[in-house]
Amino acid sequence: MRITRKPLSRRTVLRGAGTAMALPFLEAMMPSARAADIGSRPKRLQVFYSPNGMTMPEYRPTGEGTGFTLPSTLEPLEPHRDSIAFITGLGHPQAAAMGDAPAGHGRSCPAFLTGAHARQTEGPDIRCGTSMDQVFAAHLGNATQIPSMELSIDLPSMAGSCDINYSCAYTNGISWLTPTVPLPVEANPRAVFERLFGDGEALDKKSRLARLRKQASILDFVMEDTARLSGRLGMEDRRKLDEYLDATRAIEKRIQRAETSPPPRQAAAMTQPPGIPDDFAEHVKLMIDLQILAMQADMTRIGTFMIGRELSNRTYPEIGVPDSHHMLSHHGNNPDKMRQLAKINRYHMTFFAYALQRMKETKDGEGSLFDRTLVIRGSAFGDSNEHDFTDLPVAVSGGLVQGGRHVRVEHGTTMSNLLLAGLNLLDVPVTSFGDSTGPLQELARA
Amino acid sequence: MSLKRRLPIGSSVLAASALITAAAVYAAQDSAADSALPAAAPSSTAEARAAMIEPMLDKYCSRCHNDFDLAASLSVEDLKASDIRTGKHAEAWEKILRRVAAGEMPPHSKPQPDPAMRAAFVQWLGQSRASFAAAHPDPGKATLRRLNRYEYANAVRDLLSLDADFSRELPQDNSGFGFDNIADVLTVSPTLMERYVALAGKVGRLATGLTSRREFVTTWQVPKDGSVKNSGVPAYNERASADLPLASRGGGAFRYFARYDGEYEITAWLNANTNNETDRLTEDRYSVRVPVKAGAHLVGLSFRRRIWPDETVQTLHNDTDKVPLPRDPPQMLPLDVWVDGQRVSTLEVPSYRMHQRYSQQNFPRDVLQIDVAGPYGASGVPDTPSRRAIFTCHPKRAGQEEACAQEIVSTLARRAWRRPVGAFDIAPVMRIYAQERAASDFEHGVEAALEAILVSPEFLFVMESDPAGSLPGSVHTVSDLELATRLSLFLWSSIPDERLLTLAERGKLRTPGVLDAEITRMLADPRARALTANFAGQWLYLRNLDQQKPDIDVFPKFDTRLKQAMATETEMFFASVLSGNRPVTDFIASDYIFLNQRLAEHYGIPGVTGTAFRKVRLKPEWHRGGLLGQASILTVTSYNNHTSVVKRGKWILDNILASPPPPPPPNVPALKTEHDGRLLSAREQLELHRANPTCAACHVKMDPLGFALENFNAVGGWRTVDAGQPIDSGAVLPDGTKFAGISGLQTILLNRKDAFARAFTERLMIYALARGLGPQDMPEVRAIAGDAAADGYRVRSIIKGIVTSPAFTMRKTPEPFKAAYGRRDRLSFASLPMQEEAP
Repeated sequence: MRITRKPLSRRTVLRGAGTAMALPFLEAMMPSARAADIGSRPKRLQVFYSPNGMTMPEYRPTGEGTGFTLPSTLEPLEPHRDSIAFITGLGHPQAAAMGDAPAGHGRSCPAFLTGAHARQTEGPDIRCGTSMDQVFAAHLGNATQIPSMELSIDLPSMAGSCDINYSCAYTNGISWLTPTVPLPVEANPRAVFERLFGDGEALDKKSRLARLRKQASILDFVMEDTARLSGRLGMEDRRKLDEYLDATRAIEKRIQRAETSPPPRQAAAMTQPPGIPDDFAEHVKLMIDLQILAMQADMTRIGTFMIGRELSNRTYPEIGVPDSHHMLSHHGNNPDKMRQLAKINRYHMTFFAYALQRMKETKDGEGSLFDRTLVIRGSAFGDSNEHDFTDLPVAVSGGLVQGGRHVRVEHGTTMSNLLLAGLNLLDVPVTSFGDSTGPLQELARA
Repeated sequence: MSLKRRLPIGSSVLAASALITAAAVYAAQDSAADSALPAAAPSSTAEARAAMIEPMLDKYCSRCHNDFDLAASLSVEDLKASDIRTGKHAEAWEKILRRVAAGEMPPHSKPQPDPAMRAAFVQWLGQSRASFAAAHPDPGKATLRRLNRYEYANAVRDLLSLDADFSRELPQDNSGFGFDNIADVLTVSPTLMERYVALAGKVGRLATGLTSRREFVTTWQVPKDGSVKNSGVPAYNERASADLPLASRGGGAFRYFARYDGEYEITAWLNANTNNETDRLTEDRYSVRVPVKAGAHLVGLSFRRRIWPDETVQTLHNDTDKVPLPRDPPQMLPLDVWVDGQRVSTLEVPSYRMHQRYSQQNFPRDVLQIDVAGPYGASGVPDTPSRRAIFTCHPKRAGQEEACAQEIVSTLARRAWRRPVGAFDIAPVMRIYAQERAASDFEHGVEAALEAILVSPEFLFVMESDPAGSLPGSVHTVSDLELATRLSLFLWSSIPDERLLTLAERGKLRTPGVLDAEITRMLADPRARALTANFAGQWLYLRNLDQQKPDIDVFPKFDTRLKQAMATETEMFFASVLSGNRPVTDFIASDYIFLNQRLAEHYGIPGVTGTAFRKVRLKPEWHRGGLLGQASILTVTSYNNHTSVVKRGKWILDNILASPPPPPPPNVPALKTEHDGRLLSAREQLELHRANPTCAACHVKMDPLGFALENFNAVGGWRTVDAGQPIDSGAVLPDGTKFAGISGLQTILLNRKDAFARAFTERLMIYALARGLGPQDMPEVRAIAGDAAADGYRVRSIIKGIVTSPAFTMRKTPEPFKAAYGRRDRLSFASLPMQEEAP
């Protein structure tokens, strides 16, 4: 019988394979034809986000230019020192209160990738800005089956734990398709797997194609039906239905795209991740692996990954931090709490290092996935205790940028300038983004 | 200052009884009239009420709430008693009413109106607002509402008699106002649409039984014990689940949907004494194949509980790298395999597998993970409730197919879209059927039609229409069909069932007694569990419990079983208030709770044995009762290793008194943990904190409520000392009232029954209306809570009040499209200079 006999635990897979390569059964599933015909090797974007700011003294590199040293939080990145540019001094002026209620997270998190000021609301009229990754996605159009992947470690929607006066939408995710449509994050590896490879029902080419055609005609019906219904609706409702219609069109294009793409080659026995692993480290690595797999298979070129929801109150007993993250982030300069926060920051950095390592190891044409990827890592606060949004811990990496540097920009420079420069690096010919004043000159490869 | 002001005409619509009461109050205080008040000679008592309003605002409020100081963004300078008649400044008036009625304003440090005068003010304002609301019903802004993931999953379950939970297949929805069903927040993105399309296929195939015959592995992990030690590997010497036999220990049970009749391989992955690097090794894998019929099943594994010998393996040297192995070889233990409560097989497994290298603490053998793989040798067409529900006719010849498909599609579309459908309505769906029929066969055609029904906007959205030619902003009663859907979403988080839909189609839903009877029927239906899961789960933050991870070093006895028991207690408690139509004041204090042995031991309550939950009569010395003594709530309002007076106080303000404090400012000064070289208690730390006036404004309200609960530790256990210091649960309210402990707090809250009834009504109403409440809703909230008070605060009185309120039964024709929103936003970045992609 073609049923897997393999244990499902990732650890066991690692051990059994005797190599650092994770999820070998998944890698076997990537489309076989693609790697060869990627002549020009596409550019990609990967964003890593960690919540609740930093203990900045433990983060800020000392010294500028190439002669800098990494403090304890950044030590796990030492092996990648030469391929990371640390940028300090960037901020998000749009995260300022501007007369709104005193709440920090609800404004800073949505500003992070949008450079926009989030409207203060718990419900009606949520509004921020289109995020940088989605501008890139719009530019790529239908280049890939999946325009972008929004992954997270935390399930959204914890009642009573979102920022006061702000909808949870502002702190659950960082990607905004439009100023009014925040993209949902996915924390369940199984759901990500199914999104990439389907639920395993239609495996052969013929039935896969039949499935796609059926879906296409159903979507046609949906669009007709929506047009018919919107005549009956008020204008406000029609706006909402438009969202639905736009989403339907996007899927239709994707299905058309899938019809002309080779099907993912399936392993003989298919094993799906069972769900969310109990173990934090295992969960994070699995999500990173899936993200990298999707990039390698060129099913998407854009990923955002939140290692925690903004305001996350996760505890990390496995590294000796029994107190909760958000609470520690308001340490009131208590040295013990600052140390614990720094421990969490450092722990998160080890996973960023893991992701960089995996990208460097993952083949892409003649080189690695790392070569043509723009990597942005950051948090929406610098000093979390102060809700400081004017000096953010930001780092960029990937083969598109010059690493091995610590760049101090003029304090108060908007991070939108970095996002704009990033878009230009990705060949998106925009001349402004968010509240940018011009592309950050320091970003481009020398 | 002119003493004569124009009297509001609005007062003429005041209810007569209200006039009498108000007059009595006024008369009572007349003799002791504040000499500073105008000695007007009003022509009627109602006018007298109105006439005293503005001078009162001037005298007691305007020192801070004026155009210059604008304390709390409120100025009373422009407020006129006549506003009430026109609905002007509704938000300001509601704010004033709430704070003055609660005794929070004017602040206790400032001059106070005498109590009778305050009462008259509150009464006049409340009655006047009620009269205005009655004359101007305002159901609020109507926003097209999408089903959230739970509503979607329940609708699919009920539509197709499909006993499977699909809610986890959709991305989690965002929430606002504390709930995840808020119409304004439920957006649609391509990601979500993609899931809808994929999920419709999954649901359609499963329901029609047209799935692949390939084998799949479904994996279920036994909940870990919540400890960090041994990575929380399960090792239980007790019954693991209510779905397993009484005399069992360990293992677990889960719902599994078998797609075909056939053989299924049920696999147990067992623990070992090794560390987690080597769990789930093939050496610990035991499996058996058993025949299973298509459909939903409860699959379980368990060991047999023995009195003697204890199966725990004694490992002598815990926490060392090398351990001596037991001298005796492992015995064989029976591991029973259960399908729907029947033992279908018994596996023989060794009582331990140990390695010298590492040892966990003494442990019994247990199951880490259950896999079900199959079907093997799938045969025939599955006979499931779903197929019976869908295929109501069976065409014998090709000529009968079209008519049969028409019948099936009409039946499904009517239930799914919650309205009668004609041939015209289903014509596009029938085209999908025909297309797929041509490519495949009849049943696949029906399956495709079902998928189309499930991604149709009429299924995914709650469509409501306005009468032709109705003016924007005008208000009308919703149709019976629309009301039926609102009702089923409220009480069941699902679509109407056949009975409710039929009543609505016939226009009978509003005939006297019918709506009442339907509410009663629906609340008695098992589907009403959705109110507990979705309303209570969010109102009480119960959904957060799962992600709460108390510090195992501080609370070594805390584990997953206890956490599950905590959740069950609160769910059963809420459900019993609902089903027994108990007073909502039971939420504050009750002489009963629901316990099993595990939780009773946690509470130190004797005489409760076994894993099953039961209702327990409380004794006062057990310090429980109501919600505030429940471990679930005490845990979600704590940090992982210590309690939080502030979090608990805030939880009570938010959820019991609907009086949330404003957010804390950034850069909150740290709590000083020591003073003069001495460690300070939490109470002392907070006392210092309150010395800062900025902090005090809110903490003076939050902290006392939290202090009263200090006898409960961070996982809800009772304690009398903390860190060597005796617990002091005494507290003082801002108005000087002294109280202590949970019973003192309960007394305080029971004295504010009406405020709680209003708070509960507000919460439930947000959930029922799927929107936040505005000032226009507050008179209705007060009316519903007031009616409930007259009915002994019974919960159904509130539910019925909400269902019959104008907000629930009426709809406002939407305002015209505002150019500021909508399509232009979408184009904001596209309008930037951007090159077209090269062709």
